[in-house]
Amino acid sequence: MRNVIEIDSLTKNYGKHRGVSEVSFQVEEGDIFGFLGPNGAGKSTTIRSMLGLIQFQAGSIHILGKDIQKNREDILSEIGYMPSETMFYPGMKVKDVIRMAADVRKRDCRREAEKLCERLKVDMDKKISDLSLGNRKKVGIVCAMQHRPKLFVFDEPTSGLDPLMQSEFFNLIREYVKEGATCMLSTHVLSEIKNYCKNTAIMKEGRLLCVDSVANITKTNAKRVKLLRDGRHENYIFEGNLNELMQTLAGYDIQDILIEELSLDEIFMHFYAETEVCDGYNL
Amino acid sequence: MVTIYKHEIKEYRKSLLIWALCVGGMGAMCILLFSGMQESMENMAENFASMGAFSDAFGMSQLSIATLKGFYATEIGTIHALGGAMFAAVVSANMLSKEEDGHTSEFLFSLPIARGKAVMAKWLAIMSQIILFNVLCVCLYLLAILGLGEEMPVNEFVLYHFMQLLMQLELAGLCFALSAFQRKNKPGLALGLVLFLYAYDLMARILPDLSDYKFFSPFSYANAADLLGTGDIYVSAVVLGIIVLAGSVCAAHLVYRKKDLAV
Repeated sequence: MRNVIEIDSLTKNYGKHRGVSEVSFQVEEGDIFGFLGPNGAGKSTTIRSMLGLIQFQAGSIHILGKDIQKNREDILSEIGYMPSETMFYPGMKVKDVIRMAADVRKRDCRREAEKLCERLKVDMDKKISDLSLGNRKKVGIVCAMQHRPKLFVFDEPTSGLDPLMQSEFFNLIREYVKEGATCMLSTHVLSEIKNYCKNTAIMKEGRLLCVDSVANITKTNAKRVKLLRDGRHENYIFEGNLNELMQTLAGYDIQDILIEELSLDEIFMHFYAETEVCDGYNL
Repeated sequence: MVTIYKHEIKEYRKSLLIWALCVGGMGAMCILLFSGMQESMENMAENFASMGAFSDAFGMSQLSIATLKGFYATEIGTIHALGGAMFAAVVSANMLSKEEDGHTSEFLFSLPIARGKAVMAKWLAIMSQIILFNVLCVCLYLLAILGLGEEMPVNEFVLYHFMQLLMQLELAGLCFALSAFQRKNKPGLALGLVLFLYAYDLMARILPDLSDYKFFSPFSYANAADLLGTGDIYVSAVVLGIIVLAGSVCAAHLVYRKKDLAV
């Protein structure tokens, strides 16, 4: 399967401020690729470099086999992008914004736009200035999808959307991906990664921590250990040989104990921050 | 490119109409007042013409304000020069920066349009609006002159308004270049620039030490009293104006094409 996105050693600094450093990953065709990281991790810098909105100092970005620095317009004509803060011209009507996005692409997207507006319950006659964040997001989704692009790039797409619309949004994504599109999804919502993504990249402080399948990342033998010892509640994450854990615990006077699987949130938090994950038992 | 051009024209149509009606309407009303004031003007004309540097600065030493041509040069000339220059500055000062200021740059520039083409579309929209503004104002002035039953020398009238157009384009070019560097709308900066250049032109007309450097201000080659009085073109200032205009638009183009857009 060919790579739709190929980022190699991407480095971008904003003067003295850190941007991203030596970021490399690939996204395969037909994938719904998760892009995770806390605020300021460099996700938006990577996305904005991919779209040619900012210039980067080193590395290369190829999308659909083309270099973004040489073929920006060609690449953007095949991308549907929705930014996290979806803003449009406040004086315009929804239908005018949607038509403007289609006109720039020189495509007649009226049928697809109508279908999307119907499914997402977008009122095309409303003025942009009268829309809530959620409704602006829905207009952003229509603008990103109406031309049926080969690649979708969404930056926190579901913030502000009600649960029904979130579900409808992912239904649409799955339908387009089934037809051959690829989707890159930058999000803070871990359940979205778990439920919809095959592969994911995790960013922290401008660097890429890991790129792997969601199944591999969530596969761990780490356990959360909660125990009541000498009247004190203790709570740990244990990663290592379970026999050693049992032997060590046997030496204590334990009133109560619970050993359970890590939640998805805890697994990702392990990447986000330095948590109390231990290599071996360390009470 | 056409989509962005149309979008900008649509965005500014109300503002264009308001500015044209205000400046053109004010000028037309002043013209209509001329017949009522003509008699008193005749008595005042000699006094106005003998006020030394003040008369020079406002062109009253070259033309008599008791004639429509002189009245037009001193009164309408000032209204149109300042009003037109301020309109040109306001329209162009926000043209590029508004995308970052209003957080619409991410929407616009994630669409498949080259930045260079977007800059040119926006500049063409500015030029179109300035031309339309001048056409509307001149139509209102001509209607007032016709209503008055007076005549104006056609060649000088056309030359004056052509030079005004060039001056407004030069100021718009400067403000457009400033806009390419800004992340926030700064119409105050653009209006300040216009007022400074206007004041500089007045000073250069009053102070002999500055008269050789008058050409730095675009108001120098678009002065109504000079153009309606003698019909002479201030060639060096016009050449400098065209260079500044071309340089400013090129600078805006170069800067904006490579700029990291704020969201």
